Amino acid sequence: MSSSTDGVTSVPEPLTLGDIDRDEAVLEGIAGLYGETRAQLLRKAAFGGGALLAALGAAPPAAAASRDLAILNFDLVFEYLQSSFYVSAVEAGTVSRMAPDKRRWARVLGSHELAHVQILKKVLGDRAVRKPFFDFRGVNESEDAFTRTAVAMEDLTTALLAGQAPRLQDRNLVAAVFSLLTTEARHAAWARRLAGATPVVSPFDEPKSISEVRQVVRRTRFIAARPRTRSRNRPSFTG
Amino acid sequence: MRHATPDDHPGTDGPSLSRAVLVRRALAAAGVVGGGAAVALVADEAGTAPSPDRDLRILRFLLGLEQVQQQFYEQAVAAAALNGELRRFADIVARHEREHVRTLEQVVGPSSSPPTVRPGDAIRDPQAFAATALTLEEATAAAYIGQGAHLTTERITTAARIVSVEARHAAWIRDILGRLPAPDAADPALRPAQATDRIERLGIVE
Repeated sequence: MSSSTDGVTSVPEPLTLGDIDRDEAVLEGIAGLYGETRAQLLRKAAFGGGALLAALGAAPPAAAASRDLAILNFDLVFEYLQSSFYVSAVEAGTVSRMAPDKRRWARVLGSHELAHVQILKKVLGDRAVRKPFFDFRGVNESEDAFTRTAVAMEDLTTALLAGQAPRLQDRNLVAAVFSLLTTEARHAAWARRLAGATPVVSPFDEPKSISEVRQVVRRTRFIAARPRTRSRNRPSFTG
Repeated sequence: MRHATPDDHPGTDGPSLSRAVLVRRALAAAGVVGGGAAVALVADEAGTAPSPDRDLRILRFLLGLEQVQQQFYEQAVAAAALNGELRRFADIVARHEREHVRTLEQVVGPSSSPPTVRPGDAIRDPQAFAATALTLEEATAAAYIGQGAHLTTERITTAARIVSVEARHAAWIRDILGRLPAPDAADPALRPAQATDRIERLGIVE
């Protein structure tokens, strides 16, 4: 039997994307970039709990400030995604196997994303969502897949932040978002040049809505179900 | 060196205008020339709420920066003195800046006194070109970052669609120069007079 007293932590029934996603926006996801066939929409993909739902769902209309919190928390999930992706690539040895110039790019990108997590956590204080559980499905193990995915994430973060900037009530947050989105764009241009591609192709970066971004992230299946228990397999009692 | 200006009362046109005169005098005293009246009027409206009028002032100022860039890069393309990647950079970025000018002009109308750019050797000598481009891109990006939050909701999108592209330009030219393309976790802001000052120092704006 699970209970909180015997070393087993049970996680409450996770909320599913189907519960909160009502949009049908269709976008090419990150999956398309590394050649995976378009994944089934994962309506059953589970999230880590109420805090993440609050971040992703719509804030009550009467509370503009809490919409700011929801926006920032969704941004935080994205920064967690990017920083964790980088860390997982380091752990897989992918970064250390890169050529020096490339490695420098990866390390700077990683340090910036980690800094972004810290910035947003500081702004949100105890309202910050918990870091989701990620499963990068081997994409962190191939330099090519890691690079293409990282670039896609940078572009997507730029588009997300540009989309959210006008929705923020607190003008200080708008200013902060501008200075974060430009950094993401720099990382992407840098990576493209390293890959021998034209660093900047379009005169404008089009913003994306949260629901569009959510769709893309869903396709990657990177945000995974949190394990239900953290049991150490100790029996509740002996004898 | 820019003189410090006193913080102003928010809101009414009266204090904003006299503040603009103050700033214009300060800028003149500091030897900052060119840029047109629009620059001085924008300078530092601390405490003023976003409004369509303020949008126009801000976007006219940003338009001025885009026009300097457009003229610089178009003249570089026309001179055809650059080679390889710098030539490609000039080609591509000229096109982008032209689009930025077009977009901003659609909002604020064509400017009555666009800046005149005389780039001299900076469109022929690769090092001079790269250094000039770097200053232009970084100052423009930082100016957008400094003003973005002062725009009305609709115009924030106008600025956000452009600033990230300026940052990409900056990263590209930095990489060409062997400098760190993304030097900061969060990019800095510049106030209008600071951005103008950096560009004026290039000596390419009449």
